[in-house]
Amino acid sequence: MRLDTALWRAIAVYRLAALLYAAGSMVAFSGTYARPALGWAVLSGMVAWTAVTAVAYSRPELRRWPLFVLDLGLTVTALLSSVLIMSRDRIEDGDPTVTVSWAAAPVLVWAVWSGWTGGAVAAATVGGGAVLVRGGASQATVNSLVLLFLLGAVVGYVVQLARQAQAAYAEAVALQSAAAERERLSRSVHDGVLQALALVSRRSSDPQLAALAGDQEAALRRLLVGGRPEVLASGEVDLRTLLPTGADVHLAVPASPVLLPGHRARELAAAVGEAVDNARRHARTDAWLLVEDEPDGITVTVRDDGPGIPDGRLAQAAKDGRLGVAQSICGRLRDLGGTVDVHSASGQGTEVELRVPR
Amino acid sequence: MCPADPVTSAPSPLRLVVADDHPIWREAVERDLAAAGLVVVGTAGDGEKAVRVCTATRPDVLVCDLQMPGLSGVEVARAVSATTKVLVLSASGEQQDVLEAVKAGASGYLVKSATAAELVDAVRRTAAGDAVFTPGLAGLVLGEYRRTADDERAPKLTSRETEVLRLVAKGLTARQVAERLVLSHRTVENHVQNTLSKLQLHNRAQLVRYAVEKGLAD
Repeated sequence: MRLDTALWRAIAVYRLAALLYAAGSMVAFSGTYARPALGWAVLSGMVAWTAVTAVAYSRPELRRWPLFVLDLGLTVTALLSSVLIMSRDRIEDGDPTVTVSWAAAPVLVWAVWSGWTGGAVAAATVGGGAVLVRGGASQATVNSLVLLFLLGAVVGYVVQLARQAQAAYAEAVALQSAAAERERLSRSVHDGVLQALALVSRRSSDPQLAALAGDQEAALRRLLVGGRPEVLASGEVDLRTLLPTGADVHLAVPASPVLLPGHRARELAAAVGEAVDNARRHARTDAWLLVEDEPDGITVTVRDDGPGIPDGRLAQAAKDGRLGVAQSICGRLRDLGGTVDVHSASGQGTEVELRVPR
Repeated sequence: MCPADPVTSAPSPLRLVVADDHPIWREAVERDLAAAGLVVVGTAGDGEKAVRVCTATRPDVLVCDLQMPGLSGVEVARAVSATTKVLVLSASGEQQDVLEAVKAGASGYLVKSATAAELVDAVRRTAAGDAVFTPGLAGLVLGEYRRTADDERAPKLTSRETEVLRLVAKGLTARQVAERLVLSHRTVENHVQNTLSKLQLHNRAQLVRYAVEKGLAD
């Protein structure tokens, strides 16, 4: 991730700059130290740790909690060593500690690691160390504490925002390239395979082969135009995209989307699917679907061209298993607050009319 | 679709133009039509050429793909439908374009997966002045009238026309519709034709109104 690489590099740069400042500060103040030799030793340790972290944090597999905890621990230890290195009265006078602003580096590390909470925790730890060194909270100590907290929390928060933005950007790029890829595919498939399949389905003298090619053509075409999100931002779904298809299903639908809330659309489509299966199984004919989008509701009519149910033969139909399916369809429609009407007459096929209010 | 009565063969063979940007398809359609004794007087691989060929050859029927480079099938239908009957061949899933083409003057449409026999039958009926009404087209036309129901200027369906359209959309043949409503076959065809003519008339009036408004505004 490019964002993270940049952040960790920035921290390494900060630590190096702060190290130079600490070195300059030691050159200036080492004359007043109680134990200058220890001071230089601690400074060498800080140089070494700056180098180690610069390398370690550049490798993603090492950026884990043990290193972060060690970083914070060592830094606070270096800060606390000021008590041994400096003389008591100089500390009380407010002379800079051995680590100066180098001690703020782990606050940045923790902020980048786990957001504003991580930054705040590290700021509290380093700040606590500073209060220990000073033996109390003077005005200057409180000021640096506040700055430290702001640093941790603000950097952590901004990093969180930046990561979210980057994720959103990556997603947008992925979506865009997927759409571009689909368009490219769809162009070449449209010009080649689809034309060939349509031709086979038209010219083949074998009706089974023709039907198969026709089915595959329709399925492939749906695949190409589909894929665009069928759920709108409003949570509504175009019922037309959910209806059963096949060479034996003839659709009559409006030209514009037939919108229903997602759950209602899926339930209605499922009921339509059962009615179509019913037609396939019992009437053994093609099925015709008419979708009508009216101001007060949506009507889907499923018609088959079978022998129909003769008057007074509903008992026989129940025995054949037709009513069982009808009951399941009725159940779904009742849950949607809709109605089911079955019109059938001997020799005129069967029409199942499903109505759902808006 | 509503298979009509067999059309009695005309004294002189029908003259056709076929427009489709896929050569493989164009040739297949041409072959099917020629095999049925129809004469293909011209072909076109793009919309502009389709309009030119139609203007030059004055065919009885233009068989036209919807998606073509240059002018689309809709624009071609608009350009030639005053003098030439247009039968649109389309892939499935292009409902909006089909509706626009029909409003622009096409007499009907057939899905590309239709058989050669269905195609020849549709061409003959288009030439005879009948609308080629598949259940799919009936559904589109019904939907269009419902969509514009609140527009006072938009045409309205009579209750009889609605009844006929709904039955056609549900896959009944013209004969079955006639039987069911106790009407003559011809009356059913007239009702169907009317629903289409009203849409086309309204569409043309809208275009004129738009042009006038544009002209006045300029």
